[in-house]
Amino acid sequence: MAKIMVVDDEEHIRLLYSEELKEEGYDVSTAEGGYKLLERIENEKPDLVVLDIKMVDYDGLDLLQDIRNQFYDLPVILSTAYDTFKEDMKSIAADFYVVKSFDLTELKKKIKMALEASIAS
Amino acid sequence: MLAYEENPDKVERADLVVGIPSHNEAKNIGHSTAQAAKGLLDHFGGRNSVIINCDNHSEDGTKEVFLQTTSEVPKVYLSTPPGIVGRGYNLKNLIAKAVELQAQAVIVVSGDLNGITPLWIKNLGEPIFAGFGFVAPLYLQHKYEGAVGNSIVYPLTRALYGRRVRQPIGGDCAFAANLAETYLTHPTWNDTVAQCGVDIWMTTLAIYQGIPICQSFVGRPKNHQNDGPFVPPEPAFTHTVGTLLDLMMLFQDFWGRVKWSKPTAIYGFGVGEVETPAPIEVSEDELHQGFVQCFDRYQQLWETVLENNIYNKLGEIRELPMAHFSFPSELWARILFTYSVAYKKEVADRQELLKSLLPLFLGKTLSFVKKTERMSIQQAEEYIENECMIFEETKPYLLGKWGNLS
Repeated sequence: MAKIMVVDDEEHIRLLYSEELKEEGYDVSTAEGGYKLLERIENEKPDLVVLDIKMVDYDGLDLLQDIRNQFYDLPVILSTAYDTFKEDMKSIAADFYVVKSFDLTELKKKIKMALEASIAS
Repeated sequence: MLAYEENPDKVERADLVVGIPSHNEAKNIGHSTAQAAKGLLDHFGGRNSVIINCDNHSEDGTKEVFLQTTSEVPKVYLSTPPGIVGRGYNLKNLIAKAVELQAQAVIVVSGDLNGITPLWIKNLGEPIFAGFGFVAPLYLQHKYEGAVGNSIVYPLTRALYGRRVRQPIGGDCAFAANLAETYLTHPTWNDTVAQCGVDIWMTTLAIYQGIPICQSFVGRPKNHQNDGPFVPPEPAFTHTVGTLLDLMMLFQDFWGRVKWSKPTAIYGFGVGEVETPAPIEVSEDELHQGFVQCFDRYQQLWETVLENNIYNKLGEIRELPMAHFSFPSELWARILFTYSVAYKKEVADRQELLKSLLPLFLGKTLSFVKKTERMSIQQAEEYIENECMIFEETKPYLLGKWGNLS
């Protein structure tokens, strides 16, 4: 069972993602934001992180860069309400991105692809 | 292939080497050298550094300009024998010297850059000392720059080896000592690599070796003082694509197991420089003619190499009026995959195969130009990313045609 960490400062998003991904058979943990996130990743060793870009206290793209530097091949899927983030080249360090929606079909598809890529490489 | 060395400062050890490959760059090498020296002093002042010009026995005074450029950093000049020309030869000489000097890191910057700043040296070099083994450049480039990279090398490398290195033939890069040793001794080195195939060879080997790769934003657009033609000359095209296909045969055990792709670490943001890349003039008519006029020459070969439905589709594209010209991305992916299989199985002479791909590439490039003409750089990047996904999704087609992978 793959372990997924959902990082988002909005509680209802954490709940939604958590419930739906658990139904898919994933082991899901959640985090509110950046403080001690790297430490949590180190301790919990998730197989994949779903990361919000715009959090009140944290810039998800900076967090992405920190994650990539410390956990080189850990899959990270950016989750965003707007796709303007793509203007920032830092976003290319993500495996995929999804636009937030109550329909998680796209997120589930990207999670599957990212986990398959991890296994292959 | 080293014929000549001039080491006026008698450098015997160096932690960090900046290499500047050249061939008749007397007009430009002084600028690259001065910027490299400033970068080394500003950002690596505590390290023992050297700048090496690895030259192709230039007859325009490149050596003299390089050695006379004022610099507090010591310099070494290396050259191939007269008549031996090739960027790969230059880099091989550089790497051999770097290994001899026991360098921990080697940075390569072209000798004809006017966009280079000291920041390039910092951003290419620092990731090596942070533990990465290979640093590829990330430039803010015009959407029509690097057409071979955009339409062939990046999507194919990414789909095959599973690592997203956006500019795998950027030319400016950095690598660590262990990779330098690998480059020096790897049995895949050949005459094609020694010419224009060296950049994709270096990137591919880094991926194949499982070296941690970082892409570094160098802060300014890459402007060559001697900008070449938009359409690459045939030798540069065949050397680059030929090297890619040669490595594909050798590393089939690796890429056959790869599914989808993964990003790399990135570095160098927050540099505070935003500069628009110089515009690139593209002749749609020239691209169209290059595509259409080669049908007579290559019709028989294409009929042999390509499946009927692909060949017929090309015929339909040929008949399209310019206003509606379109070369579908999935068709392009299938053509490249089919060509790689034909190259492996030697369905035709390999050089002739590579040459016959060039007009198809021109057609694909025309289609890219038309589809992205109203797009911003970022939108065009997204278009390229989508094409890469199509390559990854089409990879099972390649696996089905390739045959035994072991």
